[in-house]
Amino acid sequence: MAPPNAPRSGIQVAVDDIHVRYRTPSSDSEVRRTASRPARVLNRLLGREPTVVVRALAGISLVARAGEAIGIVGLNGSGKSTLLRIIAGLEKPLRGQVLAATRPVLLGVNAALLPELTGQQNVRLGCLAMGMNPTQAADAYRDIVELAGIGTAIHHPMKTYSSGMSARLKFAIAAAANPRILLIDEALATGDAAFRERSEERMTALRADAGCVFLVSHAAKSVEETCTRAVWLHKGRLVMDGDAYTVAQKYRWWAWNLAKGEEQKASGLLDDAFRQGFDTAVRVFPTPDAIVVPRHAR
Amino acid sequence: MSAPAPGNQPIEVFQPPLLARERARPVRVESVDRTLLQPVSGRPPLSDYLGHVWQRRHFIWADARAHVLGGTSGNLLGTAWLVINPVLDGAVYYVIFALLLRANRGIDNFLGYLIIGVFLFQFTTQCLTQGARSVVAGRQLIRSFAFPRAALPVAAVVRQTISFVPVLLVMVTLIAAIPPVEPVTWRWVLVPGALALQMMLNLGLALLAARAVSAFPDLTHLISVFTRFWLYGSAVFFSYERFIDHPVLLEVVQLNPMFIVLDITRDSLLYGVTPSAQSWRVLAAWSVALLVAGTVYFWRGEESYGSA
Repeated sequence: MAPPNAPRSGIQVAVDDIHVRYRTPSSDSEVRRTASRPARVLNRLLGREPTVVVRALAGISLVARAGEAIGIVGLNGSGKSTLLRIIAGLEKPLRGQVLAATRPVLLGVNAALLPELTGQQNVRLGCLAMGMNPTQAADAYRDIVELAGIGTAIHHPMKTYSSGMSARLKFAIAAAANPRILLIDEALATGDAAFRERSEERMTALRADAGCVFLVSHAAKSVEETCTRAVWLHKGRLVMDGDAYTVAQKYRWWAWNLAKGEEQKASGLLDDAFRQGFDTAVRVFPTPDAIVVPRHAR
Repeated sequence: MSAPAPGNQPIEVFQPPLLARERARPVRVESVDRTLLQPVSGRPPLSDYLGHVWQRRHFIWADARAHVLGGTSGNLLGTAWLVINPVLDGAVYYVIFALLLRANRGIDNFLGYLIIGVFLFQFTTQCLTQGARSVVAGRQLIRSFAFPRAALPVAAVVRQTISFVPVLLVMVTLIAAIPPVEPVTWRWVLVPGALALQMMLNLGLALLAARAVSAFPDLTHLISVFTRFWLYGSAVFFSYERFIDHPVLLEVVQLNPMFIVLDITRDSLLYGVTPSAQSWRVLAAWSVALLVAGTVYFWRGEESYGSA
């Protein structure tokens, strides 16, 4: 097969038809009723809840280019955080694949740092976990402390930190790896105004460096302000993908109506938004069998 | 989805609705050059994998140290407990068995026999149980950072090994200081060899248990039953010769790697007997086999730990 024309340059991440399902316990009586009688007896004896399959992501495809900051908006449970973990390669999808130019680095608010250790020790541990050697970790330390800007609290155990302070420290640690592809899960929402400004600067710098940033947020407003593009997820499906302002505005209007109990109107808005959107199909070339030869030649 | 024309221009084709409410939407086709992009997940070949684990040695060391220190950080005496605990353990055995009961159960230097048995056996069970928990307990780390997951069970074993150093010093001090004082012979140099094989065994067990428990959390209950059974089958408190006269059962006990570790250490430190070549061979075979099996088994599950 002759390869198609050279692709538009600068594709950093290609998400190709990702499906994710979880099996999870459910206390829903509807679910309980559908189970067979012996299964119900067994569940009751063992004190278990019956399990249901939840479709966390159902066929998500998108492509991110260098210099883009992509906000992912959606309600709780719409699959935003799952999508980030899949892009980061931390979880294996049921179907589909993610290709990336460099290893994406995920920054989650609940990233595991050890609460008994001081901020300083956690900085070192985080740097080593990202693959730095002790010298690089020591070099990165000053930068991290400066970006986090939490003052002398850096010497206190992390369990004494406020949620804002630990979010700042985690952001600073992840940014220190200087990832070309940075995935941020709700981190900026917890910072104060001064930190927000600093972290936005850092994100801009990352993007200028021909990297790209994914930002997951409940707050469509912060996506509108910091991102160039937005993706709206609903129940594991992609509703809209486009310019940050347009998508975030539509999402906010829909969410506002939903919150006011205007369910009919919200449902219509969702339908409209879905119809105005488009699907992405990722064509990967050359196919895996075709590249066997050049790979060995290298 | 059908997108006939390859190319980089957005093209519009229609696809059938996926759900009732969803109308057909235009499809934008993106061509992706596989030679420029790499899959983000996937299991590297075993040799690369071991290389990646080695690259994270600083992380493994820092994580192990942090947990050792973190375990005692809430206490006034802090890390001193790492030494005080084994000293107190040893003191309890001394008071009960050497002073109160004066029971030797037909064993020469029963106190030394017991201390070696308990301290070394505890080292292995701690590695097994902590290793088994390592992947489940490290779920947050796994979900935050991309690193070879074997770093977690390895760090658990390193952590237990750090904690074991003061235990070992206390053990040797007690054996050298409490009568009957055993003479130091050249055979003491054999002990580090036996401990090295024991550590390989521990690591193999930790890796096996870590994957098994991440897939079936219920196994933690069976592991604690197994270690108790193993304790009685390894001649930790008593001499097996007094209880076992069935030849097949005796053979089985003598193939038990923990029994061999204790036997070699006791022969070298207490009794001035040179351990037989046969016991070294059996122990080495166990250690190598478990370490290889544990490494391969854990590596094959590499992609499954994220959704544990």
